[in-house]
Amino acid sequence: MLQSDLEKKMTLQPHQKAYVQRASFSREGATVYLGHLDLMTCFERAARRAELPILYSQGYNPRPMMVFALPLGVGIETRCDYLDVSLDRSYDPVLFTEKMNACLPEGLRIIRSKEIPEPKDSIMSIVTTATYRFEAPGIREAMEQAMGMETLIVTKISKGKEKQTDIRPLLLSLQKSEDEDPDSVEFYASAGSEKNVRPDLILSSLHTYCGMDRDVADNTRVIRTGLYAGNYPKIIPIDQAKIRKFEDFANN
Amino acid sequence: MKHYPAPLSRSDLMSVESPARYVGGEFNAIIKEDMMDEIEKTGKTSYVRFAFCFPDIYEIGMSNLALQILYHVLNDSDFVACERAFSPWFDMDKILREKNITLYSQETKTPLCDFDVLGFTLGYEMCYTNVLQMLDLGKIPFLAKDRGEDDPVICCGGPVTYNIEPMADFFDIVMMGEGEEMILEVCEKIREYKRSKGTDAPISRMQLLRNCDSIDGVYVPSLYEVSYHYGDDETADGRARGAKVVPADDSVKKTIRKRIITDLDSCSYPTAPVVSNLRVVHDRSYLEVFRGCIRGCRFCQAGFIYRPVREKSVDVLCEQGRLLEKNTGYDEMGLLSLATSDYTCFPELAENLLTTFEGHHTSLSLPSLRLDSFSLDLREKVQSTRKSGLTFAPEAGTQRLRDVINKNIKEEDIFSALRLAFMGGWSTVKLYFMLGLPTETDEDVLGIADLAKRIEKLYFDVGRETGQRMRRLDITVSTSLFIPKPFTPFQWEMQNAKEELMRKQRLLKDNMRSRNIHYAWHDFDSSVWEVVLARGDRRLSSVLLEGYQAGHYFDAWDDHFRLDEWVGILEKHGLTIEDFSREYSEEEILPWDHISVGVSKKFLLSERHKAHEEKTTPSCREHCSGCGAATFGVGECFAKRGED
Repeated sequence: MLQSDLEKKMTLQPHQKAYVQRASFSREGATVYLGHLDLMTCFERAARRAELPILYSQGYNPRPMMVFALPLGVGIETRCDYLDVSLDRSYDPVLFTEKMNACLPEGLRIIRSKEIPEPKDSIMSIVTTATYRFEAPGIREAMEQAMGMETLIVTKISKGKEKQTDIRPLLLSLQKSEDEDPDSVEFYASAGSEKNVRPDLILSSLHTYCGMDRDVADNTRVIRTGLYAGNYPKIIPIDQAKIRKFEDFANN
Repeated sequence: MKHYPAPLSRSDLMSVESPARYVGGEFNAIIKEDMMDEIEKTGKTSYVRFAFCFPDIYEIGMSNLALQILYHVLNDSDFVACERAFSPWFDMDKILREKNITLYSQETKTPLCDFDVLGFTLGYEMCYTNVLQMLDLGKIPFLAKDRGEDDPVICCGGPVTYNIEPMADFFDIVMMGEGEEMILEVCEKIREYKRSKGTDAPISRMQLLRNCDSIDGVYVPSLYEVSYHYGDDETADGRARGAKVVPADDSVKKTIRKRIITDLDSCSYPTAPVVSNLRVVHDRSYLEVFRGCIRGCRFCQAGFIYRPVREKSVDVLCEQGRLLEKNTGYDEMGLLSLATSDYTCFPELAENLLTTFEGHHTSLSLPSLRLDSFSLDLREKVQSTRKSGLTFAPEAGTQRLRDVINKNIKEEDIFSALRLAFMGGWSTVKLYFMLGLPTETDEDVLGIADLAKRIEKLYFDVGRETGQRMRRLDITVSTSLFIPKPFTPFQWEMQNAKEELMRKQRLLKDNMRSRNIHYAWHDFDSSVWEVVLARGDRRLSSVLLEGYQAGHYFDAWDDHFRLDEWVGILEKHGLTIEDFSREYSEEEILPWDHISVGVSKKFLLSERHKAHEEKTTPSCREHCSGCGAATFGVGECFAKRGED
């Protein structure tokens, strides 16, 4: 078979109906140090070990159809991130959760899952806001100071070029806390494909503008505690967001 | 499974390339929790704690089959707890030194000096200095003679250990051959040793080593003495010609014969190997199909040291393949052996595995596959992805030289396979050759260019004949340099000097200019040093130590290898490259003559003579040539001899 014929054969396959498991997951321990691509591979392999009826992408290099709501950078823990896994049949979310958890490496866990109709909007496109928790000596005061600033200009390196950017508008608000622990703080920040702020840039601004020691900033424990859809402050957790169905979209 | 955090701060881990290398936590990794509880309560354990050490970075070590096999053999036993350790890359190495953190195991982050035994797997000579790095960072004395009762026992095994003399000063115990059974026998002795501590009759470290010497296949270098031969009066030039290794006393065995596994079907195989969280060099599962090779190419060390040929049965392989796929989740499985096509039931195995993987999006990777119509058809089936290149290893440019090296590949076969492949749409061809082979002339070198050009012509001929639309042709000619290795018929041969090799390379390059042909060559410097380590003797231990202490390690990484500096250190110790690259005489005693791999020296010598007469030797399957490996009483050739 010639290469061109092979290409045709591979691409001309009809769309198969997908049953999507929208699952929340946590990561801690050793897996915190994985980059996002490696993290995705870990989930793919776990789903394969669990022998779940996963759908694969078409084309030359078929991959299990899994979409993560927001990349998780190296060194960031999470208590509530999300992914969509496409299966070829309807599946009990409790069983899905159990099977995945038996096959995930230590530190990664599915918290809960629910089956949703195949969404028109990719899970990535609906994320607008994240909550983070920072833990380090004196972190609350530093963050409060940062919230009082008009601008927080940081240097961002993208595509090998240095770029100055103001991250202050992306820090939305501090979360209220009862004990006002000086060594931890939680806050809302813009997240997603349109506006996003990386936690390491926030920490570096705390060092530059709020007198935080470099070493303390670098050793701050960073935990993502939630991901939301909607316009801040009217936001809703990703797994409760309303879903525009693929079928409705396809019929229009 | 409990998580044992690395003894490093977040900022330290975040500052290195790939921090995931240093934190463990992989699927299928094994931690014996009862042992950890025991240690927590009493401060000690009755388990033999074994650190399996790979002297290169994590991504390479985790692609190593020996590691996976022995990790599971050891952990399957009820008295050993095996963990893994790897060489930390320079960035992490620096942090460990600056912060005075002892190199630790992946699983429980235990400092290496707290293990009972360290086992290094040595797959290539250039990793030697990384053994020293791991000992150093593990806070263990370098030299076996400097280690005391409280230090771990330092062992090694692997293909290059058949001439371990250059590293002999650093190891307490060397295991020759296949380790599945031997490693447990050694651990048993270490258990007795450990148990006896604090009793009325403690076993001394020296006694332990002697106890291990009684195990077949085990070599304890400190129980042997080396004498160097400087020739008779007429030939003496102050250079040693031969190194004789003999037992220090009569109670020590004279010859160490390698161990093999007689029945691979019943031997344990890791069907639930540790799956790295990080993508590694060979990111797939491995199914080992058989050991040994029927071919006998005269330059190839693997072809002799792994004899005799022993196959696994199709049923066992299919079951192991099924389990491997399920337990790892890898989407690719590699069939592993020295020559996959030589597996007697290869078509049946491939069909069976493909049926098992049906609909799973799992592909088979088939390295070292001979090209014929069957394998082309098979490739079409297994490759859901883009057509990758076709690979041939003629090794030499002329039939004469191919006869010398006993590479039984005929040009007609290459051309008929390529014709089929080109008609099937393939357009990428890789050709592997060696430069500097014994008896090589410029004609042989030019023969490589000629072969490449004739393949180029064939491609366009096929296009004309069939009227097919042809894609851009891409032929890659790759040359590596011949390195004489112990236990091959070429173990006595000289290595061309660097200048001569460079001349041959230029000659080839100048005569192979075409837009369709690319020439890729191998680095000279490392090949020059590799021959020193491969054929060296015990005098090199002090050279290696000095080089390591001067900051030379990760020598297997071309960017970090400095031949000129190594030569300087070698000369400081009164040695030269020429001492090891020269032609060894057939009369001299070789530094590895006290080791037996089954294949006799007499056979190797007769093969050498046949090489110089340009005569070939048939494969073990066609005819037994009496190499000596039948002494193990198993294997395909042995069974055949029984029939004759």
